[in-house]
Amino acid sequence: MQEKVIAISTAGTEAVPTATVVRGRIVRSKWAQNLLTFLMVFGPGLIVMEADNDAGAVSTYVQAGAQYGTSLLWLLLLLLPTTYFIQEMVVRLGIATGKGHAAMIYQRFGKWWGVFSLVDLELVNFLTLVTEFAAIALAARHMGISPYLGVPVAAAGLMLMVLSGSYLRWERITIFFCLLDLAWLLIAFQLRPGVGEIVHNTFIPTIPAGGVTGNLMFLVIAIVGTTIAPWQLFFQQSCIADKRLRFSDLKWARLDTLLGATFTIIVAGCMMLAGNAALVRGINFADPAQMANALHLAANSEWIRYGILLLMVNAAILGSTAISLSSAWAYGEVKGWPHSLQMPIKDAKGFYATYAACVAAAAAVVLIPRAPLQLIILGVQVLAGIMLPSAIIFLQLLLNDKEMLGEKYVNKPWNNWVNWTIIIVLFALSLVLAAQVVAPKLFPNT
Amino acid sequence: MNFMPALMDINLNEVPEGHYLVVHPLNDVAEEKVDTSALGPMPMTTSVRLSLMALRGYLVLMALLVGYHCVDLAGVFGQH
Repeated sequence: MQEKVIAISTAGTEAVPTATVVRGRIVRSKWAQNLLTFLMVFGPGLIVMEADNDAGAVSTYVQAGAQYGTSLLWLLLLLLPTTYFIQEMVVRLGIATGKGHAAMIYQRFGKWWGVFSLVDLELVNFLTLVTEFAAIALAARHMGISPYLGVPVAAAGLMLMVLSGSYLRWERITIFFCLLDLAWLLIAFQLRPGVGEIVHNTFIPTIPAGGVTGNLMFLVIAIVGTTIAPWQLFFQQSCIADKRLRFSDLKWARLDTLLGATFTIIVAGCMMLAGNAALVRGINFADPAQMANALHLAANSEWIRYGILLLMVNAAILGSTAISLSSAWAYGEVKGWPHSLQMPIKDAKGFYATYAACVAAAAAVVLIPRAPLQLIILGVQVLAGIMLPSAIIFLQLLLNDKEMLGEKYVNKPWNNWVNWTIIIVLFALSLVLAAQVVAPKLFPNT
Repeated sequence: MNFMPALMDINLNEVPEGHYLVVHPLNDVAEEKVDTSALGPMPMTTSVRLSLMALRGYLVLMALLVGYHCVDLAGVFGQH
């Protein structure tokens, strides 16, 4: 849009026939235009990436650090370009079509695949939401707050975030929560091992002591599955469609996604360093909340304890809002309902009801006494492992759809080489996970 | 000192020469996107067909493995 205006004003071509008025700002320099435009486009990329550092991710990365120290930091570095490549395709698809991922699968692959993708997404998302609220309950308990208070308050807060009928209001609140994760850098700095060790293990891939074991394979698969989650594909495309990003915004959306991926991987690394601190101090724990309690004693630092517990809640809130929205957007797209955060509740009842139902149901499950949370956590891992390769295959096929996207937005050959490599690796990891389940003696145990 | 230019209603024909317009996507005129509703289902080229077949095979295999694991946990194949 901005380029069109410049062409009109500098080339002296015919003016736009109708007097189109938009709400905007006039600046005097190109760099100011670029900066402001980037700041306006910024958001979906950071949110989709950082929301992936949810409660499950905190558990996984902390556990990786506690079991293998800093030996798996190189895996995070490898996952940075991987997650960027995948989400960059989502950005292109969202900007080109202005529609969500669920709608595209339904339209281009037919009802069967559309319903399969939707049902799988909704199921995985719901189970993941349960784990988010389980983490909130756990952190609340360790802070002396009853889960019967903490969980409903969190659920109410999540609903209030979206019910204002303003996409921008939701986005700004969520970006604020994303930036709160900068506190992980402070925690990692407080607990850090030597810088040399961090740098070495980040850039030099190593197999931890003990070799390739069943535990290591399971953790590697869990880290990959945590860093690249199926809901991210649906969320970012719908978010871009709701924000109505333009073709001219593509480069800024890519930058937003790259910055988000980098920030997320750095925060994930800090979580691993927190786990490493427990390993170094000989601390055993069953969950990050226990680790937080033990670390504050060992490191003689009360703020670390509350810092980690509050960051667990923050991670769960971020994950919950993004996952619930991905469910609500996807369902609205397939059902043909109005589905936008820009609409008031009365104009998009189905969309907001789906979001509220997801949040309320997940919160309720967690508050059931003796709810089978461990089984749910295992179920999430299995279902996500099944869903991720299928979601990525659809994405890859859609990005090669010249009939739909035209030459400009389809994948280039190098895109396809990279993406098919990622798909094959993900398939292989899923099959290894399944093989471990069926034949546990395939890999030696520690 | 205010660095942020004021937000205002601007006629697209009246942007001063040498100046640049910045419009938030949500305030901008709706852009024409690819019309996907008119396209229908994706043409089943060889690569698309093979990809979907591989995906079906993978899903069937995973379903069988998960089913086996559930049955095994239930102790149908004996306790262990």
